[in-house]
Amino acid sequence: MKNKNQSVFDGLLADNTVLSSCMVISPVIICGDTLRNAEALAMAFTAITLLSVLLCSFIPKRLPYAVKIIIYAVISSLIYIPVRMAAQEFFPGIITRIGIYFPLLAVNSLIVVQTEAKFFRMKRLKMIPALLFYVAGFDAVILITAFIRELLAYGTINNRMVDADTLISGLGQPFGGFIFLGLLCGAYRAVRSLFPAEQSTGRE
Amino acid sequence: MLKKAKQERLIWLDIMLTLLTLELMAYFYYGLRALVLGGACVAVSAAAEFISLRLMHRRFSADDLTCTSDALIIALMLPTVIDYKIAAIGCVFAVVVAKNIFGGRLNMIFSPAAAAYVFMLTSWRNQVLQFTQPHVHTGVLEKATGLVTSASHSFNLTGEMDATDFELLMGNFSGPAGAVSILLLAVAALILILRGDISGGAFIGTVTGTVILSYLVPMSGRIADSVKYPLVTNMVLFAAVYIVSDKRIAPRRHYYAFFYGLFIAMTSYIIVLTTAKENAIVIVALLFTPIALAFKNLEKRIDDLDAQAEAERALKEEQSAEEPAQESSPEDTDEEQIPEADSEEPPLEEEPELSEDQEEEEVTGDEE
Repeated sequence: MKNKNQSVFDGLLADNTVLSSCMVISPVIICGDTLRNAEALAMAFTAITLLSVLLCSFIPKRLPYAVKIIIYAVISSLIYIPVRMAAQEFFPGIITRIGIYFPLLAVNSLIVVQTEAKFFRMKRLKMIPALLFYVAGFDAVILITAFIRELLAYGTINNRMVDADTLISGLGQPFGGFIFLGLLCGAYRAVRSLFPAEQSTGRE
Repeated sequence: MLKKAKQERLIWLDIMLTLLTLELMAYFYYGLRALVLGGACVAVSAAAEFISLRLMHRRFSADDLTCTSDALIIALMLPTVIDYKIAAIGCVFAVVVAKNIFGGRLNMIFSPAAAAYVFMLTSWRNQVLQFTQPHVHTGVLEKATGLVTSASHSFNLTGEMDATDFELLMGNFSGPAGAVSILLLAVAALILILRGDISGGAFIGTVTGTVILSYLVPMSGRIADSVKYPLVTNMVLFAAVYIVSDKRIAPRRHYYAFFYGLFIAMTSYIIVLTTAKENAIVIVALLFTPIALAFKNLEKRIDDLDAQAEAERALKEEQSAEEPAQESSPEDTDEEQIPEADSEEPPLEEEPELSEDQEEEEVTGDEE
């Protein structure tokens, strides 16, 4: 029973989409430099991924893999249309700044890869909370990353000025995002290795 | 291994001596603040190295003090009036991100100093590229006033320089504290090349590339000026000595190192010529690290192939030395050495049979 609970929460920390699996990292690196960008991306990612995976779970499993993937992409693209319209209402101007990385969320790895590899192997009642935690894991990482990068690079939090003395504007650029995310992944793994349970699962 | 470690320490010592000389020159031009900046960089680098190694569960040894030479290089590439915090962040970046994350002292990919400089250039462009005039001494804790752009900046834009040749040699023009002392840099390059502390091939390649392009595509009206100025501006000489020719990064063989330096110099010259980008050579040196790695891999493959060919040659020689002995032994047993063989080796009758088998095998082998 304990193992089952752990697997549901895995997406949040133990098997985090960004920090552990290094998936969907490009929007985090390129666009996750301000909290406003991160909010827009998190909102879109949550809506697209949750709805797409839920709808896709009703597709017959006996279809060939290639066909299923095409259908998943079509469904997520259809969901992307209202999500974009909503995002333009809530975050005017931000979607244009995010550019190509916003539509790319429609075919993110969680929908294209993890559906078949992970989610559709679970029962639907277990899959829904697991999916929620995977999405929450991504959202948490992009929001935390964007908060720190915005603070250090621009001296603002959600576009509000703070009294920061020395700004590291390089962190606002893609190379700074790469370095910061790399350091965050390293710190995450170091923290994980502190827990004996994680060490034993790592060895297994 | 011990010899290698000793050699590494001697290289570090030599490089430190030349850097300290440049630091003294900076003290002469910019006052105590230049020394304090250098000291702060060294202290922060050593602390960052110690802490990051401890976090990686590694021991801090005397060899790890090589980070201090990178710290001094960083200090000498910066204006002496730069905010200490910026220099400190740069040093931490050099040690932690550019060096230790990629495997540390023994697995260097980038020049830590170059990586840190580019990071500082992208993050604090104004502070990194604004200098005081020579002989303007700023207090250790004072905020600098009357900042000017470097002589490289005006040369890149106009193709002209105000300084005389003597001033150029002595470093009496605005620019990074250590990168303008041309005479000292030339002497340092000569000493370090002769003592084998830096890659001579890479240094000559860099200088040759700059000279060739500045002759072919001049930036000034006079050919002499257009050859002279690109060498002394944009930190070309400084980067040629301490970044491009860094033995930890540059290819080992002079032939490959020459082309590595040549490519860097030519690319950076073209960038300066077309975009007037200041100190482009440091950025290009950083971007060219994959080429250095490719050259190193090529060298390793060549070494492996050489070793393989050597081993095969030795094996063939051994075989060819054994074959006449084997061929001659049955004849000997047939004709002359029968009594000796009889006395020493009892299975005399087997030997001719074996030799026949061998002959048969040889015949079939030939036919095949």
